[in-house]
Amino acid sequence: MIIRSVLCAFVAAALLPATSGADDFSREQIAFFESKIRPVLVKECYGCHSDRTGKIRGGLRLDTRQLLLIGGESGSAVVPGQPAESLLFTAMNHDGLVMPPKRKLSKQVIDDFREWIEMGAPDPRESAAALVKSTVSKADVRRAQESFWAYQPIKETQPPKVDREDWPKTDVDRFVLARLEEAELKPSEDDEPYRILRRLSFDLVGLPPSLTQIEKFSHMWADDPDAAISKVVDHYLKQPQFGERWGRHWLDVARYGESTGHAVNLTYPFAYRYRDYVIDAFNADKPYNEFVQEQIAGDLLPAADDETWAEQLVATSFLAIGPKNINDMDSLKFRSDLIDEQVDVTSRVFLGMSLACARCHDHKFDAIPQSDYYAMSGFFESTNTFYGSQKASTNPMVQQDSGILEYPVDAPSPGQKIYTQAELSDLKDNIATLRSELGQGSRFVGIQKRIYIGQLENELAGLDENGRPISFCMGVQCSASPGDATLLYRGEVDQRGDVIPRGFPSVLSTRPARIDKQTSGRRQLAEWIASDQNPLTARVMVNRVWHFMVGQGIIASPSDFGATGQPPSHPELLDFLTARFIESNWSVKSLVRDIATSRLYRQRTDMNEEAYEFDPTNSLLWRGHPRRLDAESIRDNMLAVSGQLDLKPPHGSEIANAGFVRIRNGVLEEISNGVGDMAGRMGGGGMGGGGMGPSGRLQRGGPGDGAGPGTRTQARGPGNGMRPGGDNMGQNGGGGMGRGEIQRGGMQRGGRASAGGRGNSDAGDVPPGRLDMVDANFRSVYLPQARNETPRSLDVFDFADSNAIVGRRETSNTADQALYLLNNPFVLRQSKAFATRIADEAATPTQQIKLAFRLAYARLPQTSELRTAKALLADFNGTEKGLELLCQSLLASAEFRYVY
Amino acid sequence: MTQPFSPIASRRHFLRSTSAGFGYLAFAEMAARVAAAESSQQNPLAPKTPHFPAKAKRVIFLYMDGAPSHLDTFDYKPQLIADDGKAGKYGGTLWGSPFEFSRHGDSGLWISELFPNVARHADDLALIRSMHCDQPAHPSAMVQMHTGTSTFIRPSLGSWVVYGLGTENENMPGFLSLTPPAAGAPSYNSAFLPSVYSGSRLGRGSGRRSGPQKAIDIDNPNLSRQDQRRQIDFIQQLNRGMLDRSTGSQRNIEGVIESFELGYRMQDTMPQLMDTSQETAQTLQQYGIGNSATDSFGRQCLMARGFVEAGVRFVEISYGIWDHHSKLSENLPTRCEAVDLPIAGLLKDLKERDMLKDTLVIWGGEFGRTPNRQGRDGRDHINKGYTLWMAGGGVKGGVSYGATDEHGYEAVENPVHIHDWRATILHLLGLDHEQLTYRHAGRDYRLTDVHGNIAHDIIA
Repeated sequence: MIIRSVLCAFVAAALLPATSGADDFSREQIAFFESKIRPVLVKECYGCHSDRTGKIRGGLRLDTRQLLLIGGESGSAVVPGQPAESLLFTAMNHDGLVMPPKRKLSKQVIDDFREWIEMGAPDPRESAAALVKSTVSKADVRRAQESFWAYQPIKETQPPKVDREDWPKTDVDRFVLARLEEAELKPSEDDEPYRILRRLSFDLVGLPPSLTQIEKFSHMWADDPDAAISKVVDHYLKQPQFGERWGRHWLDVARYGESTGHAVNLTYPFAYRYRDYVIDAFNADKPYNEFVQEQIAGDLLPAADDETWAEQLVATSFLAIGPKNINDMDSLKFRSDLIDEQVDVTSRVFLGMSLACARCHDHKFDAIPQSDYYAMSGFFESTNTFYGSQKASTNPMVQQDSGILEYPVDAPSPGQKIYTQAELSDLKDNIATLRSELGQGSRFVGIQKRIYIGQLENELAGLDENGRPISFCMGVQCSASPGDATLLYRGEVDQRGDVIPRGFPSVLSTRPARIDKQTSGRRQLAEWIASDQNPLTARVMVNRVWHFMVGQGIIASPSDFGATGQPPSHPELLDFLTARFIESNWSVKSLVRDIATSRLYRQRTDMNEEAYEFDPTNSLLWRGHPRRLDAESIRDNMLAVSGQLDLKPPHGSEIANAGFVRIRNGVLEEISNGVGDMAGRMGGGGMGGGGMGPSGRLQRGGPGDGAGPGTRTQARGPGNGMRPGGDNMGQNGGGGMGRGEIQRGGMQRGGRASAGGRGNSDAGDVPPGRLDMVDANFRSVYLPQARNETPRSLDVFDFADSNAIVGRRETSNTADQALYLLNNPFVLRQSKAFATRIADEAATPTQQIKLAFRLAYARLPQTSELRTAKALLADFNGTEKGLELLCQSLLASAEFRYVY
Repeated sequence: MTQPFSPIASRRHFLRSTSAGFGYLAFAEMAARVAAAESSQQNPLAPKTPHFPAKAKRVIFLYMDGAPSHLDTFDYKPQLIADDGKAGKYGGTLWGSPFEFSRHGDSGLWISELFPNVARHADDLALIRSMHCDQPAHPSAMVQMHTGTSTFIRPSLGSWVVYGLGTENENMPGFLSLTPPAAGAPSYNSAFLPSVYSGSRLGRGSGRRSGPQKAIDIDNPNLSRQDQRRQIDFIQQLNRGMLDRSTGSQRNIEGVIESFELGYRMQDTMPQLMDTSQETAQTLQQYGIGNSATDSFGRQCLMARGFVEAGVRFVEISYGIWDHHSKLSENLPTRCEAVDLPIAGLLKDLKERDMLKDTLVIWGGEFGRTPNRQGRDGRDHINKGYTLWMAGGGVKGGVSYGATDEHGYEAVENPVHIHDWRATILHLLGLDHEQLTYRHAGRDYRLTDVHGNIAHDIIA
């Protein structure tokens, strides 16, 4: 088995070299710097390497002593005492790097620099002192530990006594009823069975119940409501659509996106593997504590076979899929922001803790000193993140590039093409020819050519020697040189304070963590977070599940369990459920079942003025929360009702099909030719050209650092170069792609051909973009999720912004939604299909109307509705158009998108 | 109608009883007024009272995508001209502007020959000649200019303004972005603010080649307006039925009912406001419409005037590309010509309609360009010193604020960071940038993060 594990790494120095301060130099030495060195730095270097001009090429700044010693992407610029080791000096000598780029400095100047470095590089240009005094004292931390509810161990709680013994169906109900009785409120009546079924169906699988299900359920309900619910819940829990529904909830929280976002928006063509991993995990009811550990440290966990390893590796995409400003010129800052993002997702997603608030100062509200942030960031400082991008050396828009991980199982993406030997040698020839032509033509053409060469070289790097695509995934690996993080005063990279040993937030730890200094410690972090003893992890997840099932969390702010969040409405219930959750081996399905079979879940949503007066937010649950379907359920609901829904998951995604490309104007800019459409862009520089974009695959080579020391079997060491032999994996991933309960067999490219080619002759019109995929019939969870380019069908209904951790979506009612429902081509297509379906399945107008209502609302029309619907059909003389309008009206109406 | 009435009950009463159609329209106008009185919780876009009384009520932001050279337009640098050919502070060869500067208006502001028409409004302009930001690369700087940071995903300026002030016309989005930059989503996204505050995009790609386009899903390809009205009547019957069956307040269903009426009317309002064919020949000429050099930007300026007149709170127009690394002396004049007359036309038009006094017009790019030459005929990026200007909306006219050094490298006098600029804009709109906050992820966020000093000297 091979691991051609890590392909490339770009790591800024994590640790500041031990340095002398300005005081350690003599006056003469400083005078030497001032007269011979500083003027040269200002004149020759600051233009590209200083904050004075704002330019930080190669991540290198030469305008403070600290940053000069830290250096840029290539390493320290100056090693005091050692000119030959100092890149600044060797570059001046044109040994390796060539600086300044266009000419060589005089011998006198170079000699001055040698002398200066030999004397220890005296330099008075200190950054501001980093003296940081914490305002969060140990006593504050202890007080919070002792008193703040979220940090208390999970208490064993017994279901309380209630007066109305006939109401509760489960222990959960007793907790809710007890609070209601305390407030002298009554729970609402059970809702009508069809509505309960509709609620269950949308909540568990995100789809409407079928007509047969409605029929069956009403019969079973008449017999025994409890058994009816139990049976249907069990059924839904076994459907592969459960994972699609609940996986999508997780993807909201995990800020899943298939591109970098920001202004230079590059695809993540392998992000979909994480999406599929999440869906599978929910379908398999993977214990949540394992799910958590895999996402933080899957690369470090033992794995019995390649499949398991592959799965665990993909899980770490969690840390890699965040938004990134790959156009940032300052690589130190970029890396610090990347780590910040990882600290933020890890702490808010799993712990409901906003640790990232303490990046620049102590937390303003919680007992989180700034040092806690850096204790946590040390884990990620010691980690390399592989998100995969075009190469910076060939694409000027990419300042911060990244390699990607080789996927341990041979399962290429649908967009990866197999090359014949002839095509392979053509590709190589093409690269050679283009390379030989470099230097001809204008600067701009040169840039375009280099981008194109970069794309082709990446394409080549993504192929084995036989032209077969190599499989890749996103994820993280341990750094070869793990270390602790340095506290940054006000979060500024050039204002460094103390080194903070890696560890866990102090308010959650009774004693300091012991992290093996030779490892990143990420596995320990994962184990600590996923521990039964951690008071937050299980509570946070239980609350998330409650939120999705009930409509409002026990803590109304699902990702904020801190002082600024909401206190729990039912603290005992939360602990009761949390204890049960842990006992059930962290089973999400059991938890969902617990809630789905409760009495409170069946409540009507009607208003009760008296209760409203007392508890306007319904936090005591005197009624069910009325809820609007979320964006993907609205779209899937339309497809289901129209009969067009294709439940077969597509392989990969539209983003995977496109490969490494830039996304602009809703367009995936794929390789066309080297010089490209210049799209009117002028000049080179940072602005780049319109035709640039795509890249082929990846950068390979370079030392892989494989798994963390000692955590993997020896056989998995990097670079023992055999591919899995004799496989029969077709390009479309045939049998090899079958995963879990879902058959993800043949490749389905969704609406690519039609959507991609959809032109519009009216230049003034706005054609649906390829990423809108108006012709796709698969479930919404598989629509492309490029950041800032959410498909319209989802965007219009408050879909989760993949730039943020979204634990709770908004629901708005906007005129734009009305316009979408009245005029959008997707809606029009579904209306037409819906009309065709009811025309096929029912004969008379009355029957057709009845069928349409049952499909759309899971109920028959009332007399008045039947009358007005008939009137509508009559106004259109019983034409097909009338039926289409009727169907569209049902899809557009409030009842279709609300669960009451 | 009997008075007094509870606004909510009355809304509800009407929604239940009024059959849709023309009767509804009259109601909707009343409802819009009622909405203004209701709390912002009821309608997040309802007009809100600013923190303090302010002159500026709306904004037109003319964003010059790609960063125009300040040294050749609004930042007169005689010393740079004198030192032409000498070595620059950070290397390279200084390049004095090849364009003539002269004084304009009573105020005597120095403006280059590239903006002859805007120069006629010199006494309305407040030049901020000491701008600086943190990012020297276009995409990052563009995002910082709009959201305050290029590091994190934050709401755009327009989103904050609509969040703070709501909007005046319920039939229109509160924030419109005309032909935003190709990668411009961060420039109009609301990020963590509720999505109703997101900018609505009209067209794309900095509008140099293609004017603004149709709004999305703004009409039905198969249906006459009359037939669609019939359909909407039916949808509203379904919705009202649901409202009738439910007990007590069901704000959601009411919201759906309203959304269809507004959407229906937007189908007409939007194209009407985008239709410039009813304007007089003189107006069209004033904006440079009909002249190929100025037509595209002129149309957008005219539309922007129509939008703000109709009550849209924040309109942004992007125009590019100003990235003159080479052929500056050839291409910069072309670009300036394309916007000069339209901007002057807009200022004049606003003034004639007595709207300039409370409409804030903002002009500028994401950073400036180097005093030293790049190649033979270009200037590189510089983010340490550049010029933006404002006009109208409570801004002092005919003033120049702050200064760069003698060559124009960096701001040295009264530097205005992009945070300060944003704080000043909010102040002009009656919003205190320290009070305009939104709670997200456990803390209160501001448009200006922890920064922002108001440039009081440019406020009238």
